[in-house]
Amino acid sequence: MEKEVLLEVKDLRTYFYTEDGVVRAVDGVSFTIHKGEVLGLVGESGCGKSVTSLSIMRLVDAPGKIVGGEIIFKGEDLLKKSEEEMRKIRGSEIAMIFQEPMTALNPVYTIGDQIMEAILTHQDVNEEEAKKQTIKLLDLVGIPDPEKRFSEYPHEMSGGMRQRAMIAMAISCNPDLLISDEATTALDVTIQAQILELMKDLQRKIGMAILFITHDLALVAEMTDSVAVTYTGKIVEYSDVRSVFKNPHHPYTYGLLESIPSLLSERTKEPLPAIEGMVPSPYRMPKGCHFNPRCPFATDICRKEMPELKEVEPNHLVRCFHPVNVKEEVS
Amino acid sequence: MRNYLIRRSLELIPVLFAIAFVSFWLVSKMGDPFAVLVLNPHVRPEDIQRLRHIWHWDDPLVVRFWYWLKDFVWPRQGWGLSTLAPGQTALQLISRRIPVTIAFSSTSLIAAIILSIPLGVYSALRQYSVADYILTFFAFFGMSMPTFWFGIMLIYLFAVKLHWFPAAGYHRAFFIINGVPVMFDKAPRWMQFLDEAWHLTLPIIVLTVFQVGGWLRYMRSSMLEVKSMDYVRTARAKGLPERTVIYKHAFRNAVIPIITLIGLSFPGLIGGAMITETVFAIDGIGRLTYNAVMSQDVFVAMALIMIFSILVVIGNFLADIFYAVADPRIRYS
Repeated sequence: MEKEVLLEVKDLRTYFYTEDGVVRAVDGVSFTIHKGEVLGLVGESGCGKSVTSLSIMRLVDAPGKIVGGEIIFKGEDLLKKSEEEMRKIRGSEIAMIFQEPMTALNPVYTIGDQIMEAILTHQDVNEEEAKKQTIKLLDLVGIPDPEKRFSEYPHEMSGGMRQRAMIAMAISCNPDLLISDEATTALDVTIQAQILELMKDLQRKIGMAILFITHDLALVAEMTDSVAVTYTGKIVEYSDVRSVFKNPHHPYTYGLLESIPSLLSERTKEPLPAIEGMVPSPYRMPKGCHFNPRCPFATDICRKEMPELKEVEPNHLVRCFHPVNVKEEVS
Repeated sequence: MRNYLIRRSLELIPVLFAIAFVSFWLVSKMGDPFAVLVLNPHVRPEDIQRLRHIWHWDDPLVVRFWYWLKDFVWPRQGWGLSTLAPGQTALQLISRRIPVTIAFSSTSLIAAIILSIPLGVYSALRQYSVADYILTFFAFFGMSMPTFWFGIMLIYLFAVKLHWFPAAGYHRAFFIINGVPVMFDKAPRWMQFLDEAWHLTLPIIVLTVFQVGGWLRYMRSSMLEVKSMDYVRTARAKGLPERTVIYKHAFRNAVIPIITLIGLSFPGLIGGAMITETVFAIDGIGRLTYNAVMSQDVFVAMALIMIFSILVVIGNFLADIFYAVADPRIRYS
């Protein structure tokens, strides 16, 4: 099932130069997204997920800076493009949905105006045609009464409706890649399910690839084809979704999956296991593997060296000296 | 929107009424306007009593307030205590003095808006650049400079030393046209206008510099705040050109708090006019206010306070309307 590669991120490094020191928000992240594929990028807050997505869009604000790596989109390195070339890609070939539908829309312009703007920027159509397309899009994302909604302001809509409008804006120019940065995190669970359903549906219809960023592993299982688990700016485990969920090899992934409450588990009476400790401060990263202070399997080498991302099974990469579950699987 | 306007206009009535009563009470504490007459050997004590009665000064405060209010709405001829000429009403006097004040304070208001908003945006877009530091320096200079002192310095430099502008007054007494002296009132309109503009340049500069500093800083910080908002990032992620991102998406949001600020600056503008007119010897209502208060002319002072209150209230009302136009979120609330 070899598909055409759409986006290849190679050894991406985005650092923030703050007064207190350098924060390596993204530190050598590599992954590949094929055409029409959904890749999940998972991790706790502050581990560089959003910065990765903003780096792909080249929208990292100062004091952040992309200091190294390549972002190859359709065979061309985005980091080598001029600002003007990049602008033409944003919104038309790569689109993005943000976490907070409450603040991601401009409060002083109507929904219709804001969606139409994207169409008018990237397509050679007049205003009337753009308006027609916008109303069609609003209908497509399931906003009832789209003609009326066209001239409403964001504050007149619910969070779910706003996120639908954001999606309409993102897909307005049929992008090849949609980046969804915690797009459903701020919504109620029921609305969340609807929005995910909508995204999956649109993905099938339009055939776009999605980079699905979330901290919620349950959503990953539902939405994605493959998963990259990140910890402190580095990918610690990367494989297809089935393999990661069935056989998590990195102690961090393992811990994350263990801490999901389950109705079917026999251990419902026991307290839910949790990963001890906290994500280390970006200014005081532990020596060696960044996960070692929280890892039950840590040994001397973990405290000295950072492990490489290695293939422990076909197409299953893990950054760990002592991957869990490997032997059991073999036997 | 229409209901909002109607409701807001109706709200003005009790506000103005309250201002009138409170300031009438305060002004009546200022002293007895008839006290000066006691020292006058030509005025008999009975006459003072009679005058007090005519002006209802022997009635309780509330009654006196009622008569004053009636006089304000339907003016009757005043009796010149000090500022008023005999047979002149307070409003007549004010209406003669008000045009020059309005001319130079509204010009400086508009100039301050035109200067501070673009400069504030410029400063924010080039944060920590040399231009930003220079603008910041001048902004603090403008804010911290006492109006009267800055006025005197301008007079010293541009009038006394360089002779570029006149030191006082707001027009010359007469022109010399073809060797013949022509009184100011009889001169062609364009000459009158140019002469007034020339006289008012320095006062306008003083008042403008006073306002620009603060507004520039507010505009700068508002723009900086808005620039890092999520919706600005959304606009960029849409692939909009940078100038659309800044001037369409960021600017309109950044200017909303400045509208309120400008609306609130009206009292300051009047206070500034009072000082500026005194420094530049301009016969506007600012100077009239100063004179009326100093000579305990209750009637003129009260009329002026009411005019100022109405101007301030109207200014805030206009700011609210602009605010509602700029920000759809408050339109229906």
